[in-house]
Amino acid sequence: MTLVVILLTLTGLVFFFATTIGILRFPDFYSRMHAAGKGDTLSSLIILLALVLYNFHDINLANLLVAIKILLIVVFIFMASPTATHAIIDAGYEASIKPWMKKPEEES
Amino acid sequence: MIWQLDLSVLTLIVICAFATIMVKDLLSAAIIFGAYSFLMCLLWTEMGAVDVAFTEASVGAGVSTVLFFAAVYQTSRKVGARKSGRLLSKAFALIAALLTGLVLVIAEADFPGFANPFTPASLHLSPYYITQTLHDTNVPNMVTSVLADYRGFDTMFETAVIFTAGLAVIAILRRFKKEDRHDLPEPYVISEGYPDTIIRFVARQLVPFIQLFALYVVAHGHHSPGGGFQGGVILGASFILLAISFDFKIVLGIMSERWNVLLGNIGVLIYAGIGFLCLLLGANFLDYSMLSKVLPATDKIMARSHGMLGIEIGVAIAVMAIVISIYLNIVSHGKYDKGL
Repeated sequence: MTLVVILLTLTGLVFFFATTIGILRFPDFYSRMHAAGKGDTLSSLIILLALVLYNFHDINLANLLVAIKILLIVVFIFMASPTATHAIIDAGYEASIKPWMKKPEEES
Repeated sequence: MIWQLDLSVLTLIVICAFATIMVKDLLSAAIIFGAYSFLMCLLWTEMGAVDVAFTEASVGAGVSTVLFFAAVYQTSRKVGARKSGRLLSKAFALIAALLTGLVLVIAEADFPGFANPFTPASLHLSPYYITQTLHDTNVPNMVTSVLADYRGFDTMFETAVIFTAGLAVIAILRRFKKEDRHDLPEPYVISEGYPDTIIRFVARQLVPFIQLFALYVVAHGHHSPGGGFQGGVILGASFILLAISFDFKIVLGIMSERWNVLLGNIGVLIYAGIGFLCLLLGANFLDYSMLSKVLPATDKIMARSHGMLGIEIGVAIAVMAIVISIYLNIVSHGKYDKGL
């Protein structure tokens, strides 16, 4: 059990690390938000699942309730975080931020 | 307490505080201030003050950031050019700040050391609350019982402060007459483009659960962190989410201005009314134990628990109405016709 918890937490931390690198290193607004939205949601999910498992070191009703509450947070993050990312990207699109191209656009 | 975590969070807090002052773009300043509040929330959770952390998360990082955003969108995003000159007033301000700091540093020497176990507060007051709260009031969360029962008078005036803030915003911003409005600029509106289906759908699904959670926070404040202030702010925030994702009008349809102001009054009135009811029943102001005379099937101890629940509900109603009212006034320039 403990091994699984450690493994899940480490996986989540690796994803968080990738998210941070993505936010810092990606070339433009859209790809940076892509990294933030995807990585953040998944890594929070994995770490919270690890917490749920960690909570079950001994099984009783109180621990079960805490686990259910953490799972509810997971559901909330799974709905709210991608929507927030979508809202930010949509705002950027409406403000007509130019996406990054591989070749620099020729000035006409 | 883990001192490495404390130290890193405190460093980040100081950096955020300076960045909030230094940055030129007001929208960035609002975001950094939200991050500052969130870090404060982490620090308080780490120190075990979960109730305060909850308040900071809902008020500081949540609603006040939204209110700052609304105000920035309706006014100007850039800091005005700093006027050079006026050296005298600047020097005076510097001297005043330094003197105040000096007085505070001198006064700090008279305080007992941090977490000193031999101060009067640690010798008599805290042990009493820690050992006797459950016996006196039947409320497991002693923060709630101190806040709503032992120090109920303080909390009543905290609610009154929030109510006064709402009144001040209405008095300054609200324009009732048509001829007062013509010189005001049109409010900034984001939802004039095409309606975004994804955001609207998710907001519509989430709002009932947010409100359910807010009610849980209010009603469960005796047993877990939470209470009237946090629950009221979360309730108000759910309405603000509706206003942002849908339309300004939809909130006005659910909660008209008349109801809003009325609810703010009713909330404070519930609080003070419970206090006066205790007075009427022959006890001190806000001494809930006398409520057992009117509440069926409660003894004096359980009556204190029920009295706390009553005033928490009053606080929640007042805070919710005031948060919505402040938001609506800011985003519509006090005109209530359209807004963010």
